[in-house]
Amino acid sequence: MTGGDPAGVAHLYVHLPFCASRCGYCAFVVEVGREDARDAYLDAVLAELERERAVLGALDTVYLGGGTPTLMGAERLSRLLGAIAPMLAPGAEVTVEANPETMDDALAASLAAAGVSRVSLGAQSSRPHLLGILDRRAQPGDAERAVRAVRTAGIPRLSMDLMLAVPGQSAGDLAADLEWVVAQDPDHVSWYELEFKEGSAIARGPHSPPDDELAADLYEQAVEGLEDAGYRWYELANFARPGAECRHSLAYWRARDYLGIGVGAVSTLGGERRRNAPGLDRYIAALPGGEEPPRTREAVDADTRRRERWMLGTRLDEPLDVAWAGDPDNPEALVVLEDRGLIERRDGTVLLTRRGRLLQNAVMQQIMDFA
Amino acid sequence: MDQSHIRNFSIIAHIDHGKSTLADRILQLTGAISDRDMREQVLDSMDLERERGITIKAQAVRVMYTADDGETYQLNLIDTPGHVDFSYEVSRSLAACEGALLVVDASQGIEAQTLANAYLAIEGDLELVPVLNKIDLPAADPELHARALADLIGDDPEHVLRISAKTGQGVRDVLEAVVTRVPPPAGDPDAPLRALVFDSVYDQYRGVVAFVRVMDGELKSGQQVRAMATGSDFTAEEVGVMSPVMTPIGHLSAGESGYIVTGLKSLVELRVGDTLTLTASAAAEALPGYREAKPMVFCGLFPVDADDYPDLRDALEKLSLNDASLVWEPETSQALGFGFRCGFLGLLHMDIIRERLEREYDLDLITTTPNVEYEVTTTSGEMLEVRSPVDLPSPNHIEQIEEPYVRCTMLVPQDFVGAVMGLCQERRGNFVTMTPIENRQQVVYDMPLAEIVLDFYDQLKSRTRGYASLDYDPIGYRQSPLVKLDILLAGEPVDALSMIVHRDSAYARGKGLVERLKETIPRQMFEVPVQAAIGGKIIARETVKAKRKDVLAKCYGGDISRKRKLLEKQKEGKKRMKHVGSVEVPQEAFLAVLQLDGASGQ
Repeated sequence: MTGGDPAGVAHLYVHLPFCASRCGYCAFVVEVGREDARDAYLDAVLAELERERAVLGALDTVYLGGGTPTLMGAERLSRLLGAIAPMLAPGAEVTVEANPETMDDALAASLAAAGVSRVSLGAQSSRPHLLGILDRRAQPGDAERAVRAVRTAGIPRLSMDLMLAVPGQSAGDLAADLEWVVAQDPDHVSWYELEFKEGSAIARGPHSPPDDELAADLYEQAVEGLEDAGYRWYELANFARPGAECRHSLAYWRARDYLGIGVGAVSTLGGERRRNAPGLDRYIAALPGGEEPPRTREAVDADTRRRERWMLGTRLDEPLDVAWAGDPDNPEALVVLEDRGLIERRDGTVLLTRRGRLLQNAVMQQIMDFA
Repeated sequence: MDQSHIRNFSIIAHIDHGKSTLADRILQLTGAISDRDMREQVLDSMDLERERGITIKAQAVRVMYTADDGETYQLNLIDTPGHVDFSYEVSRSLAACEGALLVVDASQGIEAQTLANAYLAIEGDLELVPVLNKIDLPAADPELHARALADLIGDDPEHVLRISAKTGQGVRDVLEAVVTRVPPPAGDPDAPLRALVFDSVYDQYRGVVAFVRVMDGELKSGQQVRAMATGSDFTAEEVGVMSPVMTPIGHLSAGESGYIVTGLKSLVELRVGDTLTLTASAAAEALPGYREAKPMVFCGLFPVDADDYPDLRDALEKLSLNDASLVWEPETSQALGFGFRCGFLGLLHMDIIRERLEREYDLDLITTTPNVEYEVTTTSGEMLEVRSPVDLPSPNHIEQIEEPYVRCTMLVPQDFVGAVMGLCQERRGNFVTMTPIENRQQVVYDMPLAEIVLDFYDQLKSRTRGYASLDYDPIGYRQSPLVKLDILLAGEPVDALSMIVHRDSAYARGKGLVERLKETIPRQMFEVPVQAAIGGKIIARETVKAKRKDVLAKCYGGDISRKRKLLEKQKEGKKRMKHVGSVEVPQEAFLAVLQLDGASGQ
């Protein structure tokens, strides 16, 4: 079964891998520089989209991620969005990721004209010393300018990304970032804990992650601060004004099918998950001659799907429908977890409590046998 | 051979004082082994022993030596085990000899074990030949140590041989001294056979091989033989000597030592110390001194993975084939599942067995805190032998508890006497005597064995910068006010963590143990109270705080498989943990009690 939803897949992700430099914490598929390859890459992406478009229905959400998608430049982005536009359902959410230093009035206006409804700004922090540790290129004032540009262009939704548990980050730093981001007034905030991913430069470098106690403090401080400012903690790392949740991300957490296009992009289509291989040149070479790009495939069998639905669904602040997700491997664990105040059960649903959400991994380990 | 030309002797020496090197030199000098075939330390055949520098199993080697008087003598060198756990085996090896070389490192002087074994030899009327080894070392002080050695055995310092086994200097003098000073055997060749079993090993192809010293009579291959203590009958399939490999010679006469291939299938059928006689014409009386090797230290051994239980059982069976002093029986723990309660001669024996199980049989084991065997009299007058704290009856059913005591002999440099006496007092020791030996003090305490099996030896070494040496001997059971200390995790008692302790130290031990466990047990989803209790009364409490955050930071379409695999990997890591009720406990926690003193900063 690879066809997925009979009405067609409603969620499209396009990976645009180009970056001006690689950030220390990054373990994504990115291409530094390679300006010469950008036209060829766009052609390849359009060819892959053409190849795969049979699985698509009317698109409810589109997400251009990276990399730094804005490095593609206004013209290429317009071409890409123009190709996608006929596939959109009315009211579709179209998000583009952007680094603050790459956003200006002209680009914002061009994105708005191409139908972009949402910009996600990778600010990460307002604190120069933390931006330094993260190898971010933004200068003081860049983020504020980018926010103004998006607003001026009339793009209705704005999200900002921030990071916590950065080496050297204090409660004072977090409070400053909190005050700063609330002042920018985005309708959506993603506040991620920095991961020391294997293979990333920061994991090999001199910095060590903050201790567990401080990381927990910072996490709670971020959650409470944003809630006080009127944001809803609707996913473990995501916060939104009412109605401003990211519909594209919600599709992932609700374990919907999605099509990923571009180098390194992942798709989940029914019983199959497939990943385009990293490697820009091989991708460009395979397409647009009509060939399939190099890919790895992984079967998502019934047990895996059940465990993933639990793993993803309990990230949200909406109750998980057990009948939909499938039976827990260890139903008896639910009783213990409820007694200990980590989950709530009501009418065949399971919802993690606030304390349970911060322990989502451990809770999942109890409920399901990840094997 | 005529008994006047036979000498049976052994070498008494502290670890590293050069026993094996001297034995090697003797083999070379007498041509029993060619220089080309010379392998270091021929007598220590097991790798593990070699690594630890100790000898577990005694063997007997026959060499022929032509002395200065022109006569050729048969010398039987009987090896002795070199550690405190095996003193009974040492005593049987010495009983097979008329003399012993008392070898002391000329730079180190006498050590406690040398002393203890020298006393054993003196009690057995052996002729002691004092030898100072390693006189080639720059730090050697032969005059000082020769005087002390002479004092010890009541001899003239001039009679102390000064040698270097390493260079070979003086080794021939040692053999001359064996011939001239050690008396020949004096058994009756015409009396019924009496042969002392001073060692036995199990060979997978030939069965039990016994090492014997024939005291009276004669033994020929093919004869029907009876072991008088165990009552086992067998045919002497082969009779021979080690020279230094097994060499069949057909018979052994009064005064000689050698080996017998018995065909027996288990060492339990033929114990060290037993007397062999002929089934057809049995001796009226066995040789004196037989006793069953009694395990002194017990612990639970549990497989980390319950599926390994049958493998652990097989491994214990195999080890038992060659080690009659290892005892074991199935044990079931609520916390640890199915395993075995094992008995050992002492702590070293326990360490060796555990290490062999892990190394040779590739088993992942949880070891519970070692304990001794208690004799409990119940209020109804019943006598119980308690080898596990779990088996201790509830306090209101106990009339009295007795625990094994040992006499500890320690040799301590003057500067550390205070520290050692302090340690012994902490460990409930009763002072017996203190005697100066050379520039050191021989300090003797009577102590509960239970206090020694914890970490006494390590403490003794660390408080004397490694200079003190220790030997101990069981001296029977004494009544003590003992209580069972229980440990509760999340309110549930954990049987595998219970221990029996003296009432006066229960509070300190309980406090130390919960502190240690708090450090060892990782944070869980829930707060875990760690409590120590005596008879239901909580005496100490610590808390393993709840984990606050355990979450995968971000998770989008490209991350789902990776996140799932991360959870799978976490799960794999948890397999090394034991689930005790709702608490995940790492293996190390079950030995936490052994690090008590370190943790409480004494």
